[in-house]
Amino acid sequence: MAEVEKKEVAAATPPWKPKPRPIVRLGIVLISHSLLVSVVCCTAGVVALFLLPMLAKNTYISENALMPGSASSMLSNDDISEAERLAKDLTSLNSGAADAGIERRRVLAKYLSDLGVEVGYHKFEPHQNQFHPLHFFSSPDSGLSRENGSCSSYGINVVGIIRAPQADGKEAIVLVTPFNFRKNSSSEALSISIGYAVFSLLSRVTWLAKDIIWLVADSQYGEYASVASWLRDYHIPVFSASSSDNADSCFEGNNINLLREESLDQTEISSGFRRAGTMAAALVLKVTDVKGQLEDTLSVYAEASNGQMPNLDLINVVNYLAVHRQGLRVKVEKFISVLRWEWIWVLGDTLNFIGKVAGSLNPEWKFGISTPDYVEGTATLANLLYRQALGIPTGPHGAFRDFQVDAITLEISPKVVYTNQGRRNEFILRSARLIEGVVRSVNNLLEKFHQSFFLYLLTSPAKFVSVGVYMIGFALLVAPLPLVAASLYVDANKPDPSSQGPKHKLQINFKPWKWLSAAKQVFTVHAWGVFVSLLPYFISQIPNSTPAAHSIIWFSLSTFGLLVLYLITKSPFKPQKGEWENLKSVTISVVFIGLLLMSVVNFATAQIGALVLVPACLLAQPLKLDIRDASLKSFLRIACNVFISFVAFPPVGFFVLKGVNEGSGNMDVGEFWTWLESLWAWNSATYIYIGMVHLPCWVLCLHILLHSC
Amino acid sequence: MATANTEEEKSKSEQQKNHGGGGGFTRWAVLAVIFRLTLIYFPGNLNLSSRPEVSTPLTSIRRLAEGYWLKQSSMSPYAGSMYHGSPLLLSVLGPLTVKRIEGQPSHILCSLVFVLADLISAILLRATGRKLQMAYRKSLKSLNLLNKSTDSGGLSSGDIAALVYLWNPFTIVACVGLSTSPVENLFNILTLYGAATGIAPLAAFGWVMATHLSLYPAILIIPVILVLGYGPDAPPSKLFRSKENGKVGDDKSSQEIIFSWGRVLHLLVWTSVWSVYVLVLCSISVKQHSSLQEMFQRTYGFILTVEDLSPNIGVLWYFFAEVFDFFRDFFLIVFHSNILFMILPLAIRLKHRPCFLAFVYIAISSMLKSYPSVGDPALYLGLLGLFLDELADMQFCFFLFCGYVGVSVLSPVMHNLWIWRGTGNANFYYATAMAYACFQIVLVVESVSSMLNHDRKLMKLSASKLQK
Repeated sequence: MAEVEKKEVAAATPPWKPKPRPIVRLGIVLISHSLLVSVVCCTAGVVALFLLPMLAKNTYISENALMPGSASSMLSNDDISEAERLAKDLTSLNSGAADAGIERRRVLAKYLSDLGVEVGYHKFEPHQNQFHPLHFFSSPDSGLSRENGSCSSYGINVVGIIRAPQADGKEAIVLVTPFNFRKNSSSEALSISIGYAVFSLLSRVTWLAKDIIWLVADSQYGEYASVASWLRDYHIPVFSASSSDNADSCFEGNNINLLREESLDQTEISSGFRRAGTMAAALVLKVTDVKGQLEDTLSVYAEASNGQMPNLDLINVVNYLAVHRQGLRVKVEKFISVLRWEWIWVLGDTLNFIGKVAGSLNPEWKFGISTPDYVEGTATLANLLYRQALGIPTGPHGAFRDFQVDAITLEISPKVVYTNQGRRNEFILRSARLIEGVVRSVNNLLEKFHQSFFLYLLTSPAKFVSVGVYMIGFALLVAPLPLVAASLYVDANKPDPSSQGPKHKLQINFKPWKWLSAAKQVFTVHAWGVFVSLLPYFISQIPNSTPAAHSIIWFSLSTFGLLVLYLITKSPFKPQKGEWENLKSVTISVVFIGLLLMSVVNFATAQIGALVLVPACLLAQPLKLDIRDASLKSFLRIACNVFISFVAFPPVGFFVLKGVNEGSGNMDVGEFWTWLESLWAWNSATYIYIGMVHLPCWVLCLHILLHSC
Repeated sequence: MATANTEEEKSKSEQQKNHGGGGGFTRWAVLAVIFRLTLIYFPGNLNLSSRPEVSTPLTSIRRLAEGYWLKQSSMSPYAGSMYHGSPLLLSVLGPLTVKRIEGQPSHILCSLVFVLADLISAILLRATGRKLQMAYRKSLKSLNLLNKSTDSGGLSSGDIAALVYLWNPFTIVACVGLSTSPVENLFNILTLYGAATGIAPLAAFGWVMATHLSLYPAILIIPVILVLGYGPDAPPSKLFRSKENGKVGDDKSSQEIIFSWGRVLHLLVWTSVWSVYVLVLCSISVKQHSSLQEMFQRTYGFILTVEDLSPNIGVLWYFFAEVFDFFRDFFLIVFHSNILFMILPLAIRLKHRPCFLAFVYIAISSMLKSYPSVGDPALYLGLLGLFLDELADMQFCFFLFCGYVGVSVLSPVMHNLWIWRGTGNANFYYATAMAYACFQIVLVVESVSSMLNHDRKLMKLSASKLQK
C-alpha cells in the first residue's frame, strides 16, 4: 500500500507541481511577509502624505494658445468712471422701498442696453436641495423635479450678452457677479462696477472670438442657487407647454411684467431666455471687505461638488496675471489652526534640515523647502483636502462644474475700504484689467481646456501636486489591504492535516467556498449600511424637531436595526476554525474596493478614509485571542484597536476633528446631524461613503474584535 | 448595488445549501420573479436601459422600438443604422413596445416577456443540471467511485445553477434594463437543454434561433454534436477503456465511447429544416421594404465589422476607434479568428465534457464579442453553476468574486467620470473593460484547469482502485 502511494506520488508530482512563475513567486513572498509589508507600506503611505508639500511643483501654463498677458490692456478711465456712475445710481436708490429691487434691475438693464448688448431677465425659483443618492451616477438633469412651489419667492437675474463680432456664436465666456438687488452693499456695488467696466470695454473691442455673458446673479436666495438655476435653464430647455403655462400663471400679476413694460422704452429687452454658445470658462467675481490686510488680495476658490477641480490652466492664468501684471496678492484658503501646531513646525524643520544635508551631499538634489513654506503648504493642503472631502462646492463656480464648464471664484478684497475716489478707481482698474486679461486669454482658446490637469492638489496658488504624485501615497496606504486579505484567506483555508480523511475517496469538499458565509455576513452589514444612510430622508420629514432629536432618533433606529439583524442572522453553531480570518479577509477586500472606488470619485475622501480605515481593518483581531496571549505586543494591539475603533466611529471622529480644529467648546449632538444634512443636501459622495463603506466596515471591525473564537 | 446583489445571490445559494429541499428552489425562484417585478415598477429612476453596460446596439429596446416604428411607417427597419437585430424579434416584441397600459410604466409588456424568458431559462437550466448530474453519477457508479460524500451537497447543482442565474445581479440588470439578451440567453440554454436531453429537434431549433439572434452561438454546434454523439459530460473515455482492460466484461461503459452518428445526422437534418424555416419567416417579414441580403448585412455584417464604436464593456471599440483605417480589415480578421482559433484545441481537449466545452465557448465569445453586455456574463455564470461538483476545488474563486464585484462597481463610475464630469477620459473607462476581460480570462483558465484536474483526480482514484 505504501509502495503504491509512493509510486503514485512519483508519477504524479513532477508534471503537476511545476515551479511557479516568477510573478506568482513574488506574490507568494509578499503574501507570506504580509505583516512586514503592510507596516512598511502604511508608514510609507503616511510619510508620503506629509511629504506632498515638498514634492509640489511650480505651476506652468500648459496650453500655448492662452498667451496670458501678451496683449496690453485696453481698459481706460472712461470705462471706470461710467462704471462708477452705475454703482452710484444703484446705491443711491432707497433700499427701504419695496420696489428698490425692481428699480435697480431697471437701472442696470438700462445701462446694459445703452452699451448696445442684448439684455434679458431670468426668473427662477430657488430650489431646495434634495436628497438624491443616485444623483452621482446620472446626468445632471435627471431626478430634477420641476414642480412649481409657491409663487411667492423667486429671484430675477439680469443677463447681458455681447455677441462676438467675428465669431459664429458657438462659444461663450461667462462672467458672474452676485448682487443682492434688495440690499445696499458697498462691496457688491464695487464688484458690479468692476464687472461693468470690463463688460463695457468688451462690448467695444474687435478681437472677441467668443460671446461674453455677464450674469448679475440675484443673490437674495444665496449665490449658488441663482447661478445653478440659470445654468440649468441654459442647458436644459423646457419644452413642455404645461410647465411654461404654470410659470406664466405664477408670474402673472407679479412685478416681472411690470418690470418689463415699465422699464422700457427700449425694445431690446427680450422676454425669452437668451443663450450664447457652449461655455469655455466662467469667472465668478466677488469683492469682500476683510479687515487688517497689508495689500489688496485675491482669493481663489476652485472646489466644486465632490472635490472636482477646474482645469489647472485657468487657475494658472489668473495667478500669472494677478501676480505679474496687476501686483495682487493671490491666496488660497488654508487651515489657520495647522499653523499653530508645534509638531508641524518641528517636522518642517526636520525636512528642511534633511534637504540641506542632501543638498550639501549632492547639489543636484534640490528638494529642500523652508520651514514656513512647508507649514503654509501643509495648511493649504489640509484645507483643500478637507474642502474636497466634504464635497460641497465652495462658491457659485461649483454649479458650472456640473455642466463640465471650468469655473473659479475670484474674491478680491481691498486693503481698506476706499473713501478716496482716486484710490478706488485704481483698485477697480487693477481688478478689471485682471478680468480683461483672463477673458482675453480664454478668448484665444481653440478647444475646451484640456491640456493641463484636472486632478491635482494645490499647496499654494503657484504650486501643485499632480495626480501621479499624490496617488503614490494613497496606493502605498491601501496596498497592504489585498495582501493581508490574501494571506488571511490562505491561512483560513489551509488544508487541515488532521482531518484529511481517507485519500482514496472522491471527496467533494466545498472548502474553497467557505468564504461565502463570511461574504454573507459582510453583505448583511452593508445592507444595514444602506438602511442607515436612507433613514435621514425619512427622519427629516418629521416636523418640528431639533437636529439633536433627529440624531437621537437616527442613532436609536440604526442600533435597533443592527440588533434585529444580529438576532436574525446569529448562527446557532459554534464558530468554526478560521471563521474570523475569513470574515476579516472579506471585510478587507470590501474596504479595498470601496476605497479604490472612492479614490476615483473623490480622492480626498478616500485619502482621509484610508487613514482611518486601513489601520482599523489591518489591526482588527479578536480581543479574546489577545487577552489569552497576554504579552506586551497583544496589549499594545488591544490598546490600538480600542482607540482606533473609538475614533473611527463617525460621530466621534467628527467631534474629535472639531475639537482639534476649533478647541473643545460647546459640543452639541445636533451638530453632527446638521453636518451630515449639509452633505446629503449637496449630493456629496462622501455621505454615501460614510453610510455604505465606512460605517459597515467599522461595525465589521467591531464584530471581529468581539468575535468569540 | 451590484456588490450587494452578488453577495446576496451568493448568500442565498449558501442558505440553500443549508436548508435543502425542492421547495427551496421554487420559493427562491418566485422571490426572484417578484424582485424583478418590483424593480420594473420602480419609478424610472434607475434609468438602466440607457446604460452602455446593458444596452448595446444589438440589444437595446429603444433601437428595437425605432426599428418597429420605421417598419410601421413603410420603411426598411434597418434604415439609418438604428436597428441591428432580427426581424423576427421585431415582429414579436415590436407591437409590445408601442402598447401602453394606462398607469403602468412604458414597455411593461416587454419587461414581462423578459422576466418570463429569465424564468424559463432558469427552469431549463435546472433540468439540464439534473440531467448532467445523473450522467455524472452514472459514470462514477460505473467506475465504482460513487460514495456517500458526493451526494451530501443538499441542493443539486442544477438548482444552484438556476438560482445563480436568477439572482445574478447581471441577469437582473439585463432583464430590468430592457435589453433583449434574456431572449438570446434563453435560446442558448434551450440548445444545451435539447442536447443534454437528447432531443435533437429542440437542440437544433435553439441553436438556429440563438445563431440567428446573435451569431456568436454558431460555434455551439460543436458541443451540441459532441453531446448528441457521445452523450453528456463524463470522465475521459480513456478511463473506461483502462477499466475495461483491467476488468473485462463491463459492456455498459463500452457503449459510452461509441459516437452515435445517427443522432448527429438527425440533428443536422433538423438544423437545416429549422434554418430554412427561420429564413423563410425572415424573408416574409422583411420582404416588403427590405431584403434578406440587407438583413444579413445589417445584422451579421454589423457584428463582424464593428461599425458602432460607442463605448461598451468589451475591448474592441477602443481598439477600432484608434486603429488606422487601412489596418482595420486586418485587425478585424485577427480579432474574430481569435475565437475561431480556440475552437479546435478546446474541442479536442474537452471532447468528453461537451457541456463544459459549451460553457468555455460562451465565456470566450462573450469576452471577444464586438458588442458585449451584462447579459453575457449572466449566461456563462449561470452555466458555471452546472459544474459545481467538478469545480468545487476551483482556485481563486474569492479573487474572481472580488474582481467581478470591483469591476462592476468601478466601471459605471469611470463612465460617469468620463462622460458626465469630464475629468476622466476614455482610458479610465477602457481600463476597467480590460480588467474585466482579464478576470474573464482568469475565470476561463481556472475553470478549465480545475476541470482537467478533476479528471486527473478521477483517473488517479480509479487507477488506485484497480490496483487494490
